[in-house]
Amino acid sequence: MKLGVFVSDFRNTVDTLDRLKAEKLGIILVQNGVYHASIKENGKSSPLLEKSANLYALSEDLETRGLTGSSVDSRVKVINYSDLVDLIFNDYEKLAWL
Amino acid sequence: MADTKLAFIVQRPQYKSENPKLGITHAIAYQTVEILLEDGETVTPALCFIGDGVLACLKDQKAMGNYEITSSEMHLKTALLVDLDVLVCKEDLERFGITEDKIVDAEDMGAEKKIQVVPFETIQKEMESAKHVLFF
Repeated sequence: MKLGVFVSDFRNTVDTLDRLKAEKLGIILVQNGVYHASIKENGKSSPLLEKSANLYALSEDLETRGLTGSSVDSRVKVINYSDLVDLIFNDYEKLAWL
Repeated sequence: MADTKLAFIVQRPQYKSENPKLGITHAIAYQTVEILLEDGETVTPALCFIGDGVLACLKDQKAMGNYEITSSEMHLKTALLVDLDVLVCKEDLERFGITEDKIVDAEDMGAEKKIQVVPFETIQKEMESAKHVLFF
């Protein structure tokens, strides 16, 4: 299964992600989920970033919160809405929203 | 003459729900609206950001451009313009690596008031001295 998971919260999503198994797992950070891409707590990146090699963050949601692309962890690819549509149609068979 | 102190505590990040923004707008309302008060009575609100709520204080939010809604930054500027006391927890800012230069100000709108970065202990005292403490 190729699974794309939308993460739209800053908290309470890592435990659920641990239970999801997929041959290809994409984590798409949207809304308040984008804080995972940019904010470090006590100098440490979000543990969520360890869960997948395919990490994306929506640029519009970063900008809305005063976060810039330069603050985003290097493992995360910043995408726009158009890129997101491409991901949904081309890269993932199933999508989930946490 | 009686003064009623209120503490509005924003503890959640903005935009996921309307709730944290209501904390800001309610505090502004109490700072500016006197129509319901009896003569000689005053209300003194303080707006405090703790935990993940401190993320609302970041500069350069583009909520209007992307979501077509007013940003928390805009509401915070309004709060400073009406001389509302706005406190943000120093420890929580440090936890997120947010420095004071990244915090909203309203200098461009002529406000002299600034957001005060304070230890949690100060916010705790603010809560203790308030008659009502409201969490958002």
